[in-house]
Amino acid sequence: SDKMSDKQSAQKSAKIASGAVVCVESEIRGDVTIGARTVVHPKARIIAEAGPIVIGEGNLIEEQALIINSYPENITPDSEGVEAKTMTIGINNVFEVGCMSQALKIGDNNVIESKADLGRNMILTSGCIIGACCQVNTCEVIPENTVIFGSGCQRRVQTERPQPQTLQLDFLMKILPNYHHLKKTVKN
Amino acid sequence: MASLLQPDRVLYLVHGEKKIRSPLSTLYFCRYCSELRSLECVSHEVDSHYCPSCLENMPSAEAKLKKNRCANCFDCPCCMHTLSTRATNIPAPLPDDPSKTAMKKAYYLACGFCRWTSRDVGMADKSVASGGWQEPDNPHTQRINKLIEYYQQLAQREKLERDRKKLARRRPYMPLAFSQHTIHVVEKYGLGTRLQRQRPGAPITSLAGLSLKEGEDQKEINIEPAQALDEVEPLPEDCYTRPINLPEVTSLRQRLLQPDFQPAGASQLHPKHKHLLIKRSLRCRKCEHNLSKPEFNPTSIKFKIQLVAVSYIPEVRIMSIPNLRFQKECQVLLTLTNPVENITHVTLVGCEEGDPEDINSTAKVMVPTKELVLAGKDAAAEYDELAEPQDFQDDPDVVAFRKSNKIGFFIKVVPQREEDGDVTVSFKIRHDFRNLAAPIRPSEEGDAPAEAIWLTHHVELSLGPIIA
Repeated sequence: SDKMSDKQSAQKSAKIASGAVVCVESEIRGDVTIGARTVVHPKARIIAEAGPIVIGEGNLIEEQALIINSYPENITPDSEGVEAKTMTIGINNVFEVGCMSQALKIGDNNVIESKADLGRNMILTSGCIIGACCQVNTCEVIPENTVIFGSGCQRRVQTERPQPQTLQLDFLMKILPNYHHLKKTVKN
Repeated sequence: MASLLQPDRVLYLVHGEKKIRSPLSTLYFCRYCSELRSLECVSHEVDSHYCPSCLENMPSAEAKLKKNRCANCFDCPCCMHTLSTRATNIPAPLPDDPSKTAMKKAYYLACGFCRWTSRDVGMADKSVASGGWQEPDNPHTQRINKLIEYYQQLAQREKLERDRKKLARRRPYMPLAFSQHTIHVVEKYGLGTRLQRQRPGAPITSLAGLSLKEGEDQKEINIEPAQALDEVEPLPEDCYTRPINLPEVTSLRQRLLQPDFQPAGASQLHPKHKHLLIKRSLRCRKCEHNLSKPEFNPTSIKFKIQLVAVSYIPEVRIMSIPNLRFQKECQVLLTLTNPVENITHVTLVGCEEGDPEDINSTAKVMVPTKELVLAGKDAAAEYDELAEPQDFQDDPDVVAFRKSNKIGFFIKVVPQREEDGDVTVSFKIRHDFRNLAAPIRPSEEGDAPAEAIWLTHHVELSLGPIIA
C-alpha cells in the first residue's frame, strides 16, 4: 500500500517549459516534461503510463501523433517489481501526423514520418528518418543518419542529417497561439 | 453483396484466334465486323510518347533518339521514385568583387521517398534549375555504336539479298490503311513492323527501295573482333577479411537499372533520366479499323475513338444468389442493362448438350423462354417528370423489376456437382443490334432506319460455392 501511494503521488501533471507551445486540445497524461521551443499540436497525445516522459527542446509533435510510455504487453500494471522507465526524447525531433512512438530513447534530429510505428525496444540515435507507414519493432539501436523507407522497411544511410525545422517551429510558435489556447505549467 | 459485382463473375466468350473468356468491361466491340474483340485479338500500336512526371509529349523520332527517356526528369537510383529539384542559398563570391560574397541559389536533386540527394554521390550543386544534370558517359559507347552500325549494315545487306531472290513474287496491292509511320525499314536487329508480324516470311519488295538507293557506295564498316584475355584482374587481397558495409552494397534491382555501369557500391549510383510511357491504340486485326484511339494530349484521359463492348452489348450482372444446394433448384436473380438508346430485344437460350463452347458449366440452368424487352438508355429520363412510364407488360414470374434501361430477371439453377468449387452456369444471349457505323445507303423512301442484325454471345456466370 505504501508503494501504491508513492506511485500515485509521483504522477504529477505535465511540466511545460516557458517557451513551449502546447495546445490545450492535446492530451497529456502522466508525468511529462516538455522542453522549451517545443510545439505540440492539437490532438497530439503524450501519455506517460508506465513511467515519465522527458521531451527535449525544439521538437515538433504534430496532430494525432501518439507518444506513449506504456507497459510491455506481457506485464500487467499492478504486478510487482516493475520499474518505471523514463522515456527520453532529445532535441529537434519531428513527429509527423499520425505516428506512434513507444521507443524509450530517441536522440536528436530524428524524423518520424506519418503513420510510422516505433516499438518499445528501439533506440534512435540521431539523424534517423523512419519513413511513412513503416512499422519497426526490433530490439536494436538504429545507427546515425539511417533512413528506413518503403513497404519492406528498406534501409539506407544518408550523408547528411535532416535539417532542424527552425523555420517551421518559429512560424508555428507565432501562429498557433492566435487560434488555440495554450496549456501552461501547473504550479504546485 | 459487393462481391457479386466483381467483374470476373460474368464472362463473355470471344471468338478469335484463341477462345478467350473475359468480363465485358475488358472487351472491345468492332462494329464493322460486329464481333467482340479482346486484348489478345487486336493489334497494339504505339500512339504517342509522354513523360509520366512532367507530362510532356514527345514525337516518336525524338523519343527514339533519346532512348525513350525524358530530358528533364530523373529517377532516384535508390528507390526509383521521381526526383525533385531543391534549392539552397549558398554564399558565393561575386564575379566583380571576389572579396564580397552574395547569396546565390544552388540546386540539387532530392528524393522525397528515401531521402537520397545528388550530394550523396558527389554530384556538385548546379546553378541552373533544370538542364544542368548530365548522366555519366558510358566508357564503351564508341565500341557499342560501331558494333550497332556494323550489324545494321549487315542486316540491310542480307535483306536486300533475300528480296532479290524472291523478286518474282511481287505484291501489286498495298492496303491503304498503313500509314507512313508504320512502314519502317525492316531491321533484323531493330523493331519489326506490323507487316512483318502478320505475314511472316513475305517479302516487302516495295519497301526495299526506301532503304538504299541503287548504286550508292556503302561505307564499309570494319570491326575488330573482341579479344579474349587470359589474365583476369585478381580479387583484392582483403576480399575475404574486409567487413561488409551493408548500406553501401547496392541491391540487384538498383544495379541492373544502370546497365552501363552496374555499380556495386551505393556511392556510384547516379540518377537516370525518367523512362517515357506510351499511349497505345488498338486495331482490329480483321478489318483494320481502330477500336481505341486515345487523345494526343498526355493530360487528357479521353479517347478519340472508344469502341468498348459495354457501350454496345447488353451486360448481364448477378444481383442475388440464394443458398445453392446440390441437385436442388434455386432461383438466381440477374440484371440485364441496355447500353444503347433504342429498345433492345434479348432472348436467352440455354446451351445444348455437347456444345463445344460449354466447357465450364457445373450446373443445369433454365433460362426464361420469352423474349425480354429492354428500354433504351435515356440520359434525360431522371429529369423528365412528365414522361409516362412505358408499359411492357412483364411476366412477374420472369421479370422481377424494371428500372429505366435495366431489368431484373430470374433463372433457375440446379447444381450438378457436389465438389468444392464454384457453381458455374452458361447460356447464350441473343440480341438485336443496330449498326450505326454501316454506310448509309441512299434510300428512295426517305429515312430508312438502320437495319438490325442479331448477335449471339456465350455468357458464363460464376455463382459461388454450394452451401451444404
